[in-house]
Amino acid sequence: MSMKPDVPAGTLTLMILRTVDVLGPLHGYGIARRIEQASGDRLELNQGTVYPALLQLEQRGWIKGSWGVSENNRRARFYAITRAGRKRLAAEEERWRVASEMILRFLDAPGGAR
Amino acid sequence: MSGVRAALARLRATVFRARLDDELDEEIRGHIEMQAEEFVRQGMTPEDARLAARRAFGGVEQIKERYRDRRGIPAVESLARDLRYSVRLLGRTPGFAVIAILTLAIGIGATTAIFTVLNRALLQALPVADPDRLVALNNTSPNRILPTFSYANYEDLRDRTRAFSGLIAYRYAPLSVSHDGINERLWGYLVTGNYFDVVGIRPALGRLIAPSDDEARGAHPIVVVSYKFWQQRMGSARDILGRTLLANGRSYTIVGVTPPGFFGTDVVSAPDLFFPMAMLGEIETGPTWFDDRGVEILFVVGRLRDEVSREQAAADVTALALQLEQEHPEQNKGKRITLSAPGLFGNVMRTPLIGFSALLMLIAGLVLVLACTNLANLLLARAADRRREMAVRLSLGAGRLPLVRQLLTESLLLSMAAGVLGLLIAAWLVSLLEQVKLPIDVPVAVDLPIDRRVLLFNMLLSAFTGVFFGLLPALQATKADLLTALKDSGTAAPGRESTWKKGLIVMQVAVSLVLLIGGGLMLRALSRAQTIPLGFTPERAAEVSFDLRLQGYPPAAWPDLQQRLLERVRSLREVRSAAVADVIPVDMHFSRVRVYADGTLPEASGRAPLTYSNRISPGYFTVMETRLGRGRDFTAFDKAGAPPVAIVSQAFARRMWPGQEAIGRRFRLNDEDAESIEVVGIAADGKYASLNQDAQPMVYRPIYQAVSGSTTVVVRGDGNPATLLALVQAEVRRLDPNIPIASARTLTERLALPLLPARMTAWLLGVFGALALVLAAIGLYGVMSYMVSSRTHEIGVRMAMGARAADVRALILRQGLTLTAVGVAAGVVFATLMARLMRTLLFGVSITDVPTYAGVVALLGVVALAACLVPASRATRLDPVFALRSE
Repeated sequence: MSMKPDVPAGTLTLMILRTVDVLGPLHGYGIARRIEQASGDRLELNQGTVYPALLQLEQRGWIKGSWGVSENNRRARFYAITRAGRKRLAAEEERWRVASEMILRFLDAPGGAR
Repeated sequence: MSGVRAALARLRATVFRARLDDELDEEIRGHIEMQAEEFVRQGMTPEDARLAARRAFGGVEQIKERYRDRRGIPAVESLARDLRYSVRLLGRTPGFAVIAILTLAIGIGATTAIFTVLNRALLQALPVADPDRLVALNNTSPNRILPTFSYANYEDLRDRTRAFSGLIAYRYAPLSVSHDGINERLWGYLVTGNYFDVVGIRPALGRLIAPSDDEARGAHPIVVVSYKFWQQRMGSARDILGRTLLANGRSYTIVGVTPPGFFGTDVVSAPDLFFPMAMLGEIETGPTWFDDRGVEILFVVGRLRDEVSREQAAADVTALALQLEQEHPEQNKGKRITLSAPGLFGNVMRTPLIGFSALLMLIAGLVLVLACTNLANLLLARAADRRREMAVRLSLGAGRLPLVRQLLTESLLLSMAAGVLGLLIAAWLVSLLEQVKLPIDVPVAVDLPIDRRVLLFNMLLSAFTGVFFGLLPALQATKADLLTALKDSGTAAPGRESTWKKGLIVMQVAVSLVLLIGGGLMLRALSRAQTIPLGFTPERAAEVSFDLRLQGYPPAAWPDLQQRLLERVRSLREVRSAAVADVIPVDMHFSRVRVYADGTLPEASGRAPLTYSNRISPGYFTVMETRLGRGRDFTAFDKAGAPPVAIVSQAFARRMWPGQEAIGRRFRLNDEDAESIEVVGIAADGKYASLNQDAQPMVYRPIYQAVSGSTTVVVRGDGNPATLLALVQAEVRRLDPNIPIASARTLTERLALPLLPARMTAWLLGVFGALALVLAAIGLYGVMSYMVSSRTHEIGVRMAMGARAADVRALILRQGLTLTAVGVAAGVVFATLMARLMRTLLFGVSITDVPTYAGVVALLGVVALAACLVPASRATRLDPVFALRSE
């Protein structure tokens, strides 16, 4: 059993949206690798779990998948962020900032810490 | 909304499932290969790289499963999966599927057909405006059969009621109609002028009868034709308005056509023509009934005022009935009026209709229950076989619900397929019913639409059936009794469940026995009926009947017309003898009158005895081959003005003058003050109104003396009597080209009518009995097969211990036949109870008729034996070693 933490609930969505927003259209493998790298390999991510998440994002219309050819000539599905996706990403980022600031302030406050 | 968008995406994914599955596979494959290439670049061997890439991806199948759950609509997809699985499973045992569907379909079909009748008669509204506000008034005074009113009483009700915005009256009229060179015997309505206003329909063409068409008696010779009549008889011609047609000897101008779908105000009849009530005296010649308050002949229907409730209306008519009784105590003694929904000849048909349909529904339902129990049994046996499979699936973590759902899908698939087939069967049965032409002259016409309500009934019944026979086996199979099931290696312990099964088999045997004995008794009764002494010879004789009254001939002209016709008919080479009569036997229309013997007082009971009566021409007894014992036949001189004479039956003579000479005695009919009639001859006894009755008194009067417009010509020849029919009909047309023939048939055909109820019952019981027998045989076979397979081990032990094949066979047969015997015993008891109920149809066949019972029991025995023999011989072929190892 790995001692690394699981991906926190709800963060995968944010990570995927952020990835495709920053890097442009990308296939599932690229997204999974990017998230692994960005977390500095501190996350225990089964790469496969990005696929149900991608499906959910696509169903909501935040990303759009289309078949294309990868850098080494392999057929793959590329996911690009949509306008609705950008709006959502902004909202998510804001939410996470507020939430983490709040948690941090709480942890730093006297009596809040151990 | 992203929620809606997601739902749509899911729906799309459900539809394009297979393609999306392929795409996902490709995407995942590509992913793993890219990762593997990356690892190779980092220096791994290709083999290690592929394994590492897979590890990094995680469980491929789990991911796919999660992906799919999110992608489509799981309930629909699992239903589709269940369905596919069920179809495959049923396809593996097509015999089972076919039998299951067929037996269920017959049960469902019969039940649906009966429901269609009930739907029409009791649930569907009349095709009129605002049918809920239309109410029938029923004259329920003592001794009334029909709920009808006299015209005078109707007028008083109409003028005095405060609960109804309109009160209408109508009467069925037998019609003889001539148009475009065709003569027909039809039924019409005589309606009051407000009839169409009150029912609230608009004409399809022209105009309908208005109050101004119903003012002066006999002065409104107009007619409205039904849409059906206009379509079928006038080719939907637009120019029929103003044309005339001849009805009962008078010409009527066509003024309009009723809208399609309108069939009057009774559901089981369909009048072709509508006449103003003012024409009553023209349509039905004879005494005018307008003024006689005692002649109650009109059906009355009213439309409730908007603000009036049914209770208020009931109080209103009750009060009016009391008023009528007080004002006219003689004619309206004990007058009572009740309200009911219209459409069933007032309310008179309701009880018999419900009773008859309930009986049919009971028989059909019984067969359906049998089919269900059978299927439940078969599925139970299969469930037991699959219990191990289920236990394995349950222990692997499958939920019980999906398994039950899977099993129920299977039974629902069967029952829904049966429902569709059943609907076809019902449609066929209903079309047969619609075509039935009753061999009696009554205004019956049924139109039985299969509407949404019938479809809904059919679907619900099918679904209910599927759950009914599927749920118990499904629950049984998925019982979370894992340990026993797994240890048991699939053989269920024969416990309570098999007692159940045995009970079902006993019931099936009993039910099929009851139905078959019923059918058998009816067949015996029918063959017995052929040998009943009738008092006349039906073979080689034929009849043609018509009604001179409907042609407008005055009574004085009738004897002459009949005599002229007889002369012509008798001169035909093919005819050996001929006569005319008012009615000929066997006919339920024979009327009965009271007899007052001269010189004797009415009996102590204060009531004079009743006798059948007929009016006949000379030569009648020769044609009918009825023995004329003593005295003389009538002659042409026994006519109006001559001394009143009669020929009586032996039973009449015995009844009136026991042990004395009857010839020369005198009596009166109907009334103590009527003319005195002399007996001039004695005729042999016979059957008159039904085949069941004992010798009844009968009095024959000369038809030229006691005249009758209703005319039946009877002829006897040497050849086929059917050939005589055309000849006689041609002579009738020569007499008057406009006379419609009411009936033309051989006397043998006529005798089919009194046997009709017996024949229908025999047919019904026979068909359902045979069906029940097949079901019982299948059930028995199923249960015995199951017994053998669940006793495999025991049989193996027995054989290993030295039991011979014959012993094993006897063991199994004994078990099966014991069940049958118990069922037979129960069935015989119920059969005698049922036979008691249908005694009137049995023509003297005993309700415990030994040949019938013995025959049916033997038949059942043979079928049961055959059903047990296959499993029994399968048991004898068991290899003991294998049987023991199977544990």
